[in-house]
Amino acid sequence: MSDAGHTGDEALEDPGAYVQQVMAEIAEEVRLRRASGDLPPRLERELDELFLAHSPIGVRGGDLSEAIRLVDAATFIDPVVPVESERAAGAVVKKGMRTMLLWYVGWVTHQMSQSASAVSRALHIVDDHLKELDLRIEAQRVPDAAVVEFPTSVGPGAWWVEPALAALAKAPGRVLHAAAGDGWMVRRIVDSGQDAYGIDPRAPVVDAAELGALDLRDEHIGEHLRAVAAAGLGGVVLSSTVEGMAGGERTHLLAAIGVKLAPGGTLVIHSVGRAAWEAADAPYGADLAPGHPLRPDTWCRLLEESGYTATARLGPDGSDYLITAVRSGLTPYDGREPRTT
Amino acid sequence: MSPAAGRPVAVHQFLPALNPHDATGTHTLKLREVLQQAGWRSEIFAEAVHDDLAAEAYKHWTYPEHAAEGDVAVYQFTTSSAVAPFLAERGLPIILDFHNFTSPQLFAGWEPGNVTRAAQAEEDLALLAPEALLGLARSAYSERSLRRAGCRRTAVTPVLADYARVTAEPDARVAAELQARRGRDGGADILFVGRVVPSKAQHELVKALWTYRRLYDPAARLHLVGGTSSYAYSKSLNDFAEDLGLAGAVRLPGEVSDPALAAYYAQADVFLSLSVHEGFGVPLVEAMMAGLPIVARGEGAGAVSQTVGDAALVLESGDPAYVAAALHRVCTDDALRKTLADNGRRRAADLQGERVARRFVDAIAGVVGQP
Repeated sequence: MSDAGHTGDEALEDPGAYVQQVMAEIAEEVRLRRASGDLPPRLERELDELFLAHSPIGVRGGDLSEAIRLVDAATFIDPVVPVESERAAGAVVKKGMRTMLLWYVGWVTHQMSQSASAVSRALHIVDDHLKELDLRIEAQRVPDAAVVEFPTSVGPGAWWVEPALAALAKAPGRVLHAAAGDGWMVRRIVDSGQDAYGIDPRAPVVDAAELGALDLRDEHIGEHLRAVAAAGLGGVVLSSTVEGMAGGERTHLLAAIGVKLAPGGTLVIHSVGRAAWEAADAPYGADLAPGHPLRPDTWCRLLEESGYTATARLGPDGSDYLITAVRSGLTPYDGREPRTT
Repeated sequence: MSPAAGRPVAVHQFLPALNPHDATGTHTLKLREVLQQAGWRSEIFAEAVHDDLAAEAYKHWTYPEHAAEGDVAVYQFTTSSAVAPFLAERGLPIILDFHNFTSPQLFAGWEPGNVTRAAQAEEDLALLAPEALLGLARSAYSERSLRRAGCRRTAVTPVLADYARVTAEPDARVAAELQARRGRDGGADILFVGRVVPSKAQHELVKALWTYRRLYDPAARLHLVGGTSSYAYSKSLNDFAEDLGLAGAVRLPGEVSDPALAAYYAQADVFLSLSVHEGFGVPLVEAMMAGLPIVARGEGAGAVSQTVGDAALVLESGDPAYVAAALHRVCTDDALRKTLADNGRRRAADLQGERVARRFVDAIAGVVGQP
């Protein structure tokens, strides 16, 4: 029966170690399966969506218009009950009863239908009002920051890659690279002997990547961190991610990383400076972003207030910088989830 | 209060409903035996009593007819009930025997009635916990809930269950059916036992089966044994399985007899739990008793990882790809199966028998004195 390539001796000698080894092999197997395209992340999401499609509206997230549509469909109460029957003469008996009772049942159902119509009408008014409010709020909404890549800051030859790898060398667990693109940094981290994976909200970029044995997923950093176990990451690399963030989004991101990063874990942030961000040749995404880059000292201060030991390093031409920060082991995870949105 | 002269202190049990073939019902009947053997007088008082157990319990509102000075109440806390305010009003010294309850959020969108009931249970717990002499929890996970609710003194005592039913003579017809299907189609038999409700996340099991069949074993089957208290969830589950082309592979036999349950445990290849809320998980112990390897979600699943200890492959999430890979490994690695089965039998032995009974007696004697 056994086809797992083990003789069983390992299990007999040290069962606990063997189970741990098996768990690691399972994780590797999943990584390879995903990389081979056997199970694209999109397929898993489609499974979720299919189940939700079979779930009640309340579970699906409360689409008011769809709920009202169901209310409308159920508003009319039919007093003419079906009379089919499997028994001989059953239909005749039922039909007789229906005829006798129709004046009474019809009077009751008419009032119920009118009541339901009034409720439905009220719901439509509420729905119209909410849609109008939605439109007004949408006009003033602060969007999430998009990935804004500066070509000179991206790729295995970028100046900050080596110092980042050095900072991650002692990361106590798996390393996540956000805005991973085609996985260039993930590959470097894996080659340096660390376990790493990447996420990027740009699905076409991930789809076009040649994955090999890389683990890349098209996910937004905020959504992804919600699914990660507390203290489940040994390192986090943020590049092309934080520059355009508004204050609220940045605060939520730091809070989430604070929970998901293990004590002693390393946070690496690469960011361009304000001058590069506002230069005439900056990517157009910089103009559309809700926020702007922070100065390196501001990052260090923010991180130190959050329990990190942080250092900043300016790039060769001063247009960008690298922050490396180690989460203190003295402030362990306190069991609270971050208030991310 | 001091005990009535010449009579041992009574440690009576109260609960919302006493039902046969029910974990709380079995626990209550066994605990009465333990309490009586230890030397306490002990009767059972319930808001609802199943006809089959009518001779075993009194209705809770008749308690004043049986009351004596020095009585102590052990309240089997499973859900909201009129028994909670009844006990609070009487000012009896209370020991909370806490089985945990499903959080209202886990029913949201599915069963409005259950949401209300679960929210009421939270209020009942907040009412009783701060005044309780002692809180007995099935797991460290449940113990934390008791502490959060205000219980000042707590202890962990596993559930008293009738695990012998798992190793009893299996139902020959059910066993033959399972064997015949396997003989004809091949493939692994994956088992989960538990109520079909959103918190047990049977839909995650269906997703895992779909993935497992796609990647490893196209003939695998999933048996979801247990009744339901959520028609909406049960229907969604069936429709989901059908849409995935798994109508013949996902089987929901409902509640089954003890011999039939023994047959399922005996014939299955692996027990899979992706539940997101377990206060203890009696079926996990049953699976261990039956020597069945377990794959279970640990993170965000309540007490699962505490109950199974080292007797399962405990996964961080219910991610179908991980679950499928773990199932494949358990079904194909004999050394792993043996390790998990051996660990499971040892773990199950720790969670039952005289030692567990002793823990109840010691914990209760610690607050009310020796009988």
